[in-house]
Order: sequence, then structure tokens, then C-alpha cells
Amino acid sequence: MDIEKVMKALKENLLLLTKETYKDIKPELQKDINDFLSKSQEKIERWSLLLASNSITKDEFEWLLKSQNDLLTLKVVQRAGVSKIKINNIKKAILNTVFQTVIGSL
Amino acid sequence: MKTKILLLFSICSLLWSCESTRTAIFDQYSYQKTIELKVETKQLLGKSSQAYEANEAEINQLLLNVAKLTEYEKNKPNNETSYEMWQLITNEEKNLLAGFFKYWKEKKTVSTTFKEEAEKQIMESFDVLIQFEIKKDKASQQTLLDVITKNK
Repeated sequence: MDIEKVMKALKENLLLLTKETYKDIKPELQKDINDFLSKSQEKIERWSLLLASNSITKDEFEWLLKSQNDLLTLKVVQRAGVSKIKINNIKKAILNTVFQTVIGSL
Repeated sequence: MKTKILLLFSICSLLWSCESTRTAIFDQYSYQKTIELKVETKQLLGKSSQAYEANEAEINQLLLNVAKLTEYEKNKPNNETSYEMWQLITNEEKNLLAGFFKYWKEKKTVSTTFKEEAEKQIMESFDVLIQFEIKKDKASQQTLLDVITKNK
């Protein structure tokens, strides 16, 4: 099992995902992706050892790898939602200031 | 003065009408139910080294409860993100909650080591949902309520 190859493929897929689908929040995603990649590497190494020692089957190893990809998709969706919340908070803060100002001046 | 007030109200209307950035607020029910489902899932995953058939009724009940919450999330206004995350988790073709049950059914039983690793992955997916719910708009909902109360 060539972990370097797996990690390279994972990184390429992640970059494609941020470039195409989530280009508006790319800087924030980049940090998440870097964190995710480092955690993914730990997991892949651990699963590789389990596979090598026959503690898990090849099917199970493949299932786990795919689950890690799915977790990433979940986190990307979450990050997009968090960015929306932040924008919404700024919008509400502005509205609040406007209300306070207008009501204060009446 | 009047011009200033008109301008301020125009800005408010513009901001208020920006539908694309609206998000659902924190929902205690969603938060509580998600945690309950996480705990029930953990308990059930612990039995996956046993035969699937012996646990089928419990699995179906859990999946039904998950489907109910997913439907609830779907119908909440401005809740697309949460709904999208629940769809991933309930998709049998993905390798999270529903995908694991599908795998368990196919294989009849799973090894203890795989069960432990898959459980970590699925629990992590629940944590993503829970953390997102927590991040929802509790703070600014309170701020708005404060403004309304002060000016009664």
C-alpha cells in the first residue's frame, strides 16, 4: 500500500472540490483541508497496519478509506454553512446598529 | 433627518432581503435529537460483530428515527446545510451511518477491529452535525430580542 500515492490522490481530489464547488470560501477551507489531510494520513497509516496484520480485510480497508472521503465532504458542507452563519451575523450586527441608531435618534 | 432615516431603512431592507445568506437558528430539538441518535447508534454499532439479522428490528427503528429527523431538517426554513449533511449520513451509497448498516447486512457480521474503526468514523460524522447546530445563530437571536425588549 503506497500511502504517498493515496495521500496525493486525496489532496488532488480535495483541491478540485474547493476549486469547483466551494471557490467562494476557499481560504477558510484550505485550513480545514490541511488539518483533514494530516488526520487522514494518521488514519490511513493505522488502517494500513491493520490490513498488513490481517486485522481487517481488503474490503473493510476500502470501506474505511471511502468513509474518510465522505467525512471530508461532510466537513466541507459544514464549513460552507459556517461561512453563511458568519455572513448572517455580520448582516444582523449591521441591522442591530441601524435599529439602535434610528430608534435612538427618534 | 428624514433622508437619513429613509436611507437607513433602505439599507435594512436590502440586507433583510438577502435570502442567500439566511440561515436557520439554533434548534434545541435538533440538537437533542442528534445527540440521542448518536448515543443509540453507538450502542447499536457495538453489536455489529453479532449477526445482522439478530439486530435488524433495532437497526430499522434507528433508521426510521434518523429518517424522521432528516425530514424535520428538510422542512425547516433556511436549513439547507443541515439537511445536506443528514442526506450524506442517510445515503446507503456513502460510507457513513446508512452505508455501514448496508455493509453489515451484506457481510452478515463484521470483525471487531473494523467495527471499532467504523464506529470512530460514524461518531465523528455525528460530531460534525452537532458542532454545526451549536454554531447556529443563538447569539444574534438574543441580541435582536434585547433590542426589541429595550424599546418597548
